Amino acid sequence: MTSSTLTKQPTTLRTTLSNGLTVIAIENPVADIIASRIFIRAGHGYETAENSGLFGLLTAVLTKGTQQKDALEIAEVVESIGAGFGADVASDYSIVSLKTVSSDFETVLALAAEVIQQPSFPEAEIDLERRLILQGLKSMKEQPFSVAYNHFRVSIYAGHPYGLTNAQTEACLANFTQADLQSAHQQYFRTDNIVITVVGRISPKLSVKLVEQFFGGWKPPIRPLSAVSFPQIKRSARKIVTVQETNQAFVVLGYLADSVGGPDYAALKLVSTYLGNGLSSRLFVELREKQGLAYDVSAFYPTRLSQSQFIAYIGTAPDNVPVALAGLRKEITRLTTTPLSAEELQVCKNKILGQYALGKQTNCQIAQTLGWYEVLGLGMEFDEEFQRAIAAVTVEDVQSAAKRCFTEESVSVLGPAAAVEPLR
Amino acid sequence: MQQFESAINNCAQISHLVGVMPTGLHNGATMKRLENGLTVIHQEMTTPATVVDVWVRAGANQEPAAWSGMAHFLEHMVFKGTQRLQPGEFDWAIESQGGMTNAATSHDYAHFYITVAAEALPRTLPYLADLLLCAAIPADEFVRERQVVLEEISQAHDDPDWVGYQTLCELLYGKHGYGRAVLGTPEILAARSPEEMRRFHQAHYQPQNMTVVVAGGISQADTLSMVQQSFSRFAQPLWCPEAQPKPIPEPTHQRQVLQLPNIEQSRLTMAWLGPGIADVSAACALDILSMLLGGGQTARLVRELREEQQLVQDISSSFTLQKDCSALSLSMWLEAHQVEAVEARVCDRITELIHTPVSAAELSKAKRLILTDYAFSTETPGQIAGLYGYYATIAEPSLAATYPQTLESTTALDLQQTAQQYLSVDNYTAVILHPV
Repeated sequence: MTSSTLTKQPTTLRTTLSNGLTVIAIENPVADIIASRIFIRAGHGYETAENSGLFGLLTAVLTKGTQQKDALEIAEVVESIGAGFGADVASDYSIVSLKTVSSDFETVLALAAEVIQQPSFPEAEIDLERRLILQGLKSMKEQPFSVAYNHFRVSIYAGHPYGLTNAQTEACLANFTQADLQSAHQQYFRTDNIVITVVGRISPKLSVKLVEQFFGGWKPPIRPLSAVSFPQIKRSARKIVTVQETNQAFVVLGYLADSVGGPDYAALKLVSTYLGNGLSSRLFVELREKQGLAYDVSAFYPTRLSQSQFIAYIGTAPDNVPVALAGLRKEITRLTTTPLSAEELQVCKNKILGQYALGKQTNCQIAQTLGWYEVLGLGMEFDEEFQRAIAAVTVEDVQSAAKRCFTEESVSVLGPAAAVEPLR
Repeated sequence: MQQFESAINNCAQISHLVGVMPTGLHNGATMKRLENGLTVIHQEMTTPATVVDVWVRAGANQEPAAWSGMAHFLEHMVFKGTQRLQPGEFDWAIESQGGMTNAATSHDYAHFYITVAAEALPRTLPYLADLLLCAAIPADEFVRERQVVLEEISQAHDDPDWVGYQTLCELLYGKHGYGRAVLGTPEILAARSPEEMRRFHQAHYQPQNMTVVVAGGISQADTLSMVQQSFSRFAQPLWCPEAQPKPIPEPTHQRQVLQLPNIEQSRLTMAWLGPGIADVSAACALDILSMLLGGGQTARLVRELREEQQLVQDISSSFTLQKDCSALSLSMWLEAHQVEAVEARVCDRITELIHTPVSAAELSKAKRLILTDYAFSTETPGQIAGLYGYYATIAEPSLAATYPQTLESTTALDLQQTAQQYLSVDNYTAVILHPV
């Protein structure tokens, strides 16, 4: 995908209803599908050690009862027309997602409006979902990478909501009551804290009209919502060793990194692309193709409202842990000392912009991307700004971003004792 | 599309099974067989991305048992270049232009795909064709890449769901190829040579075994001329030991309990064998039965076991249709002491399906769920290319058009008769995983 294909945008409309609710409507007639995303500005990052897991439970129970309907009646509406309908939580937001064939959209949007404005949080459903979430936390321990990464996350983010431990979440979950969910709902589910995106075979005008019809009567709040503030976490090197009798060891190496608003955001996106994106990425070529050390080796740098993280990881034979760790370290350090060539940088830009476009192929993906930017406070314009920012990054920017980011390395290793104990 | 993939991976996903995904040759899709026997399917779409997906009837079922894992290993080695392309040169060519490429191997097929802007096709398609037709399989790369596959195998063995699934396949499919792991074993891979792999490649990567699907912003005429030009230099077929096909075993009652380290939660999977792609009517009926047992919150078993009785943490059903047979399976996550009780409940519900017709409303809901799922799965060129390619490889693409129709016309009586024929409370396979 060359960047010239990126600029073609379907008809787009953004507006704010009189009650303060933001709507983004995009017409995309390619398929007979309408996708909608309803973002609520409140997620894991808004939790504390006292209420860790609150939004996970809230979103799980949200679709399980309203003032008018019980869980089964809600499911009947959705499943009798074969729609997609669900709620979930992420680091920086909560979300209700809808996907329908075009003719069913109104029915499901009406249902979404009902669960968002008038959830009943039935006690029995709270108990059921609580059990399921606790179980989900337990089953995360079954995947070696999840375990190694989770230890890494908790360690570098100690004292930050992104670093709440599963043990803290389990303890909080056991005690949440219906009143807790109601109060969180009242605090965060309000018209000035919600963004709705609608994308598909529907005119932007009609989308806005339908949102107005189902959400327009929602009274705006009187007092403004205080903005979330995050503690600033200091960088410090950490080492976490987890003994587990696995066939393969995992090495996770990483650093705290800029938030989406930080000066190095675009440059670090390019660095993670260079190191970890695709079959021609540096880690893949050097550690997998040339040395056969791994099946799975990559790097990632997620977009976060607060401090993010830059991670490189590898799954390798236990005997290879030292050489794999040295390999990851070498490639990361190299970026602080050796500038990329102009060609390497250009290829990275093509890659990231092309894949960015490929990540917006479906109506769901478009609704997700633009609404997410809006709810993070970046505005949907960030879709274009991001691409311009990538295009403007220089080789000097990449090197100085690497120098700033790649200090105070943290490492989490997991594997059989003989392989990982020496790293303690 | 129900693909089983290892947890986190970059390349060469192992998709053991592809679930039934009805598709129609719609929106002007066409199919053409070239003179050399190569099948070309094309659909023009107004999307920025264009996908080329090449399907080869060279999956694990084409391997003799002693070469188990060869098809998947070859899928890795295809990316290691040709006389004209250095290892990695192809990946770089696609990705440096902002495109993507990947591949997957299952029992009935291997497939390789690229996603690029339409204007990049003339530069990239010849590369893809060269890789597939003229894979060099260099000896040094063979040795190195084998390490990567061994890591892939190790990673799979650390995944309890993969282990459970593999055990289920071994029991369900017995000596048939579907019973063997696509990945092969370290012992077998250690004994294979580049020479043998070249034989396997040149015997199977021949035009009559291949389908090229192109979907996106390119015309049929341009597609055909480009494919014709790029896919012309097929290697001379070499002799290669043939697979010794074994029949799908008769269903019997089988039950295996595994104790696994590092798992937190017990699982119970119950599975029934169904017909292969040749019997679409029965496949559709089983697809619907699977949906009404475990597809969604209002499905029978989800309501009873998860929501009302709370005997399981979660339950899901799946129906997977392969060339030679299908399987309906129910997977439940539960406390160890509930396994017998849950198994008995499931058997009660199966008995009910055998004896009592399904109501019109329930039937119509299950059909609607499957058909909208189909609509949701044909949004992008990649999805469309995948569906056509899969059907072309295991049957013929016209099946894609008839599947939704057959599904739509399935009656409550069809469901009951199919349940009587295939679902039994005496003959099913159960795999139970417990924490050590």
